[in-house]
Amino acid sequence: MTSMESDKCWQECMDVAVQIARSAGQVVREAVKQEKRVSTKSTPADLVTEADHQVEELIISTLRERFPSHRFIGEESSAAGEKCILTDSPTWIIDPIDGTCNFVHSFPMVAVSIGFAVKKELEFGVIYHCFEETLYTARKGQGAFCNGLRLQVSKEKDVSKALILTEIGAKRDPKTLKIFSGNIEKLLSAPAHGVRIIGSSTLALCQVATGAADAYYQYGLHCWDIAAAAVIIREAGGVVIDTSGGPLDLMSRRVVAAGSQEIASYIVQQLQPISYERDDNGHSTQ
Amino acid sequence: MSDPWKECMDHCIAVTKEAGKMIREALKKDIPIMQKSSPVDLVTETDQKVEALIISSIKERYPTHSFIGEESVAAGAPSILTDNPTWIIDPIDGTTNFVHRFPFVSVSIGFTVNKEIEFGVVYSCIEEKMYTARKGKGAFCNGVPIKVSGQEDITKSLVLTEMGLKKDPEHFKAVMSNMQKILTIPVHGIRSPGSAAVNMCLVACGSADAYYHIGIHCWDMAGGAAIVTEAGGVIMDITGGPFDLMSRRLITASSRAIAEHIAQQLQEFPCGRDDAVN
Repeated sequence: MTSMESDKCWQECMDVAVQIARSAGQVVREAVKQEKRVSTKSTPADLVTEADHQVEELIISTLRERFPSHRFIGEESSAAGEKCILTDSPTWIIDPIDGTCNFVHSFPMVAVSIGFAVKKELEFGVIYHCFEETLYTARKGQGAFCNGLRLQVSKEKDVSKALILTEIGAKRDPKTLKIFSGNIEKLLSAPAHGVRIIGSSTLALCQVATGAADAYYQYGLHCWDIAAAAVIIREAGGVVIDTSGGPLDLMSRRVVAAGSQEIASYIVQQLQPISYERDDNGHSTQ
Repeated sequence: MSDPWKECMDHCIAVTKEAGKMIREALKKDIPIMQKSSPVDLVTETDQKVEALIISSIKERYPTHSFIGEESVAAGAPSILTDNPTWIIDPIDGTTNFVHRFPFVSVSIGFTVNKEIEFGVVYSCIEEKMYTARKGKGAFCNGVPIKVSGQEDITKSLVLTEMGLKKDPEHFKAVMSNMQKILTIPVHGIRSPGSAAVNMCLVACGSADAYYHIGIHCWDMAGGAAIVTEAGGVIMDITGGPFDLMSRRLITASSRAIAEHIAQQLQEFPCGRDDAVN
């Protein structure tokens, strides 16, 4: 495939992703009004519902029919035992309901997230806020948008003027919670303007892309939480890196994202790590 | 028998809508920031303008009424609650969110007579959600009745709290220790959206099962208190005793069972009182 042909092809993929994200969002809006059957996965705080499975099935079956040679990494397929290895093949990286706990409680921060990688490079990202009906998109090299308006990160470099977002993660043992608290304490002592937790990694990352938040960091999220948002933040002018300060490692279960390198670096220096098993179970392709 | 405070409430809702509009307009422009008690206790011109708008509008109509407004108190006005009809106003609850254009920003107004809350209005102005409640007449969001989740099982609950403003290391430790205790119960999760009044409304409409906070103010709680109780929820002191509007602390929840469970976990720490005479 020539570069022009593949470019046209990935644009077509992105257009389909936008359509399917909107349809999936509608399914989520319907499902939230009904009774939910809730199960747990890795810990009592790691929830899953029938809607997660239904929405992922809807997205993957639609995409598979259209693009039969492509590969898929989906949250629920992965929970069912599918391997989470990123190859050079065009690969869709899907979180059908990001913020399942929020969904269960009808707390209004729930999104569908669709990322796409080719030769292990993230090409585009689509995140759909199901209740606000807000669409965040970015195609590599072509800017980031929210409902058609161009996005720009905040250029704040001073952490004492920063609003920082994070999430708790599924592990809730005392040792983990102590480190989690300690990390927040260090940032609030900077003194950052504040720390917020909204319960959806992808929507929190989108707040960095819009400039409403200056940074986001987390231990315990997955590749399907990062894949789309990383493109959106970078295309809005921000940085997305590993918590060690090195380049983003999509399967590492950790991330720091910020409007500026200065704030990202400051956060990296403060953080004490919390370890989670890699999404690729140690089969690193980097 | 007609409601003696209905007219006040209608006026309150109208002026709150105006205030929300002013806030949305301000969000389209640059927002210069000032500091109050510390570098993280923010205030803007909009906070001051919105409070002035609200108070002048109410004073014109009800010249004998009293006011406790966040920015007036910051400028030296007293914050003692008397029996007189009193409007308790937070012109922008979530000023830090406002400054960053982070979505949870509200106008909060509570109205008391004989120190009892008669009605509350909270306008989450970016979402354009108007929450209202008149004592004995239910709670509403944009005119639609709302009610709490009814959740009684703490292990299935979503809990809201905030990670406060003070820079005192002992205060931080207590806040974080309380969070860890709640997470370890375990609960489904904790959320920190950044506006006390919005948090109370999230409990009232069933999107969260509890909100607790030590260190807020009467103007953060007065609007939401009626809304939560009229939605079927409970509000109490963090010790489990009766709610005290001037105590700077609260637990509000979808059920007594959840509120009491949280009260048992929380470690108190001093936060002062809004009516403390200095």
